[in-house]
Amino acid sequence: MEEKPFKALAKSSGHRGSGKSSPHDIRNLCTTATQSQPKLNVPLPTVREDSELEGSSVGSTTCWSYNQKAGHDSDGGWEESDDGEDKDSFKPEELDEHALMELEMRRGSSLGGPLEEDDSKTDDEKSSSVSSLNISKHTPHRAYWVEQQSRLPLPLTELMENEALEILTKALRSYRSEIGRDHFLTKQLQRYIEGLKRRRNKRLQVMVI
Amino acid sequence: MKLKQGSFLWYLYLDKLYCLLSVRNVKALVEYFHLLDVHRKKTLNDVLFYHFLHHVTDLKRNQITIVFNMLDWNAVGEIGFDQFYMLVCILLAQENHLEEQFIFRHSRPVFELLDLDGELKIGPSNFHMYNFLFKIKKQQLRDLYHDFDITGDCRLNYKEFKLFTIFSMNKYQESQKAVEEEKALPEKKVSQVNVSQRESLLGINHFESPSR
Repeated sequence: MEEKPFKALAKSSGHRGSGKSSPHDIRNLCTTATQSQPKLNVPLPTVREDSELEGSSVGSTTCWSYNQKAGHDSDGGWEESDDGEDKDSFKPEELDEHALMELEMRRGSSLGGPLEEDDSKTDDEKSSSVSSLNISKHTPHRAYWVEQQSRLPLPLTELMENEALEILTKALRSYRSEIGRDHFLTKQLQRYIEGLKRRRNKRLQVMVI
Repeated sequence: MKLKQGSFLWYLYLDKLYCLLSVRNVKALVEYFHLLDVHRKKTLNDVLFYHFLHHVTDLKRNQITIVFNMLDWNAVGEIGFDQFYMLVCILLAQENHLEEQFIFRHSRPVFELLDLDGELKIGPSNFHMYNFLFKIKKQQLRDLYHDFDITGDCRLNYKEFKLFTIFSMNKYQESQKAVEEEKALPEKKVSQVNVSQRESLLGINHFESPSR
């Protein structure tokens, strides 16, 4: 029974992997989602800066690290499982919209798609409702990847912060000698430098772990 | 002027055609500026600016002061991101030997920077003052005033300056072509020598073979 919806969907126009919500299925959904995302050069563990994030979502980390590998390894996987769709016009950002449109078409069509071979509509409706649930689970992932893409690589951030610390430490000496230790600008600079150092140490601790 | 190797700016690069930073580089530069903006005013004061430039370049104190006064075009005693970006482009153009191209592509802003008094004309003293940034050689300066001072007042207005940039850009491109041709010449000579050697060997073989 579990296989039928998968087979039907595989044969249908492009929506894949939406069965029941077992871990195996979710992993497949994650894989297909990341296959549609552009490649990322930043390895996942180095992007995280807060230790809190790691503690709360270890499962998703493993899921994403698996999926990133899958995304890198199976570049043509999206195209391979796609049957008869316009591959060139398919953009990563349109994945969810396309899938949603297909769901609506499948729900609305009385004849069913030309590629479908299932007898009953109810099976389709069930699978479409489950797939819509799964798609809604994907939405935060997409936003996550978009954010990660716009971030600077961690080595560059480290270089910038280290250099800024050196410059500001020398500036602090000038402030102290020219306007005095008790001036509010001197204190502000001192607090800022301490904050930068704390942030850097925190990140170093996270990377060591 | 040289950038300190391994510094953040050293890793940036200009687009060779337009002599500007890419969007990614600008994004990184914004973050860097934000890190240096200690007092959260979106500006760097003279002390912070001095220490930044002293750390990333080999400029001397008086040169840094000249640069600061040049960029502080609003005379507020602070440098905003626009001026910071301009400075980084100038530094990178010098680092990558793109001075002529940079001046040609951005003649208007460069002219306005050189025109410290706001008189819409620049004299030889302006060029001398900023020679460490724009690297206009003495001979070039002489040619500049000899050939392009159309009004004859020993100062250049913007149009005259623009003509100069076009001329120096053409000259730069010609010199680049000549350099490339010179590099190609030894390779041609080597290949010609090889061909002649082969021919001479073949000639010897042909001479020897009938006797056998």
